[in-house]
Amino acid sequence: MVSVKELRVAPLGDGALRITLPESVDRRAVLEVMRALSGVTDVVVSEQSVGVYFDPCAPPEDPSAVLEEIARLLPAVANRPLITIQARYNGPDLDRLAEYAELKPNEVIEIHAAVRYTVRVVGFMPGFAYLGDVDSRIAAPRLSTPRTYVPAGAIGVAGRRTGIYPFDSPGGWNIIASAIDFTGFHPEFGAALQLGDQVCFKPV
Amino acid sequence: MVQVSAAHVVLEVLAAPSPAIVQDGGRPGLMHQGVPPGGALVPELLAVANHAAGNPWHATALEIYGELTLAVRGGSLWVATDARAWFAGEGERIRVPRAQSACVRYLAVRGGIDVPEVLGGRGTLVSASIGGVEGRALRRGDCLNVGRAENCAERTLSPVTLDLAAPVRVILGPDQLRFDAKAGSTLLEEEFTVSPVSNRIGMRLNGSRLGRVDADTSVSTPMTRGAIQSPVCGELIVLGPDHPTTGGYPVVATVVKADLGSLAARQAGVPVRFRAVSLEDARNAWRCHAAQIMG
Repeated sequence: MVSVKELRVAPLGDGALRITLPESVDRRAVLEVMRALSGVTDVVVSEQSVGVYFDPCAPPEDPSAVLEEIARLLPAVANRPLITIQARYNGPDLDRLAEYAELKPNEVIEIHAAVRYTVRVVGFMPGFAYLGDVDSRIAAPRLSTPRTYVPAGAIGVAGRRTGIYPFDSPGGWNIIASAIDFTGFHPEFGAALQLGDQVCFKPV
Repeated sequence: MVQVSAAHVVLEVLAAPSPAIVQDGGRPGLMHQGVPPGGALVPELLAVANHAAGNPWHATALEIYGELTLAVRGGSLWVATDARAWFAGEGERIRVPRAQSACVRYLAVRGGIDVPEVLGGRGTLVSASIGGVEGRALRRGDCLNVGRAENCAERTLSPVTLDLAAPVRVILGPDQLRFDAKAGSTLLEEEFTVSPVSNRIGMRLNGSRLGRVDADTSVSTPMTRGAIQSPVCGELIVLGPDHPTTGGYPVVATVVKADLGSLAARQAGVPVRFRAVSLEDARNAWRCHAAQIMG
């Protein structure tokens, strides 16, 4: 059972609140319930907290009560869609990550592709989904010097998270593969991967 | 005044030596998909130009960071730069000079710039290449359709307060614990200056570093426009309209909504001072300010 003390609520300016979320609270439920609250215009769920946004003239009621309700629920059974993404494991950091893990590259591929990941966070840039949890054997830290250019579709690993870059951008993750036939963000439909979705990679 | 159907009027870009992008009131409500709310860098100035052109405050317009030259083709239309509106005829050249006191200015046309709507907005988000003209800055040769002037009305110009020298009001926190005891007073007593390394993603501020008691971590938290991030080894960054929706640097304070425009409008080299206010004062300020922008 989550106590009120664990749900720390703090203002993030005059138009948002940031609330810490204990591990056990179901993230998808938080997103859906918060978005439905009267006065809330947007919600961002991150690893350990949730941001709730509103017009400063019309702040919502204190969401702590609602969050306590959510905390009482058991985590939802994984009934979100399973999305299989084809991946070509030929990324520039594959060998280096294998060395770090003291494994062969083929073993890194097997380990990465064996997991059924959950979308833990959608954020940072449009359509960027942070997938977890990466097997701790291959959970290499991000690059100490980020690359100025990572191509769209690149699949990277940073700690216990993996993800697909939706656009060309700078990036600090270990790039081990590239996604085939996958669009992370579509101008008409928005983000392809939503909070709570299940994802697995299929080596091709 | 004769109502002219602007259905076939086009603005041709003759010269775009400085960045200029199509921008509107934004596409709020999509941060859960990683899409920042965007919208005009200085909403007050967008509103001034739109009101002068007879549009709602948020109509799609051009956000111009320097000079821009356009030609009117296929008809005539009402144009406004800042608060000055005029009726431009077929073939007329519109030469927009660099703004004097603000870092940006807006050109509005009656009926708005007609580009496709993407995810509820027409403004440009360069990082995702969406909105505006192909999700990018304007280039010579671009032809911008002008929308139909529906639901337009003559408006009396509402005075807009945009004080580019006033202290910028902030709500302190939420990451106070990650800073040392002097950080708060440093933020509120020192003078910072706008760095030239500033854009729609964020404004950097040259000046004193704030003392941190921990290292930068890789745990990201939700962000908002106006959040003042403070990396261990870097200068302050105030998040702009196209900010990443999550971020790993601690937030020492957040600029109140009523002052986002007056900070963002400051040119490089201009001083910035901060002043802490209560949530109640911030919200009252926004109540008045919003009425000025939205009419």
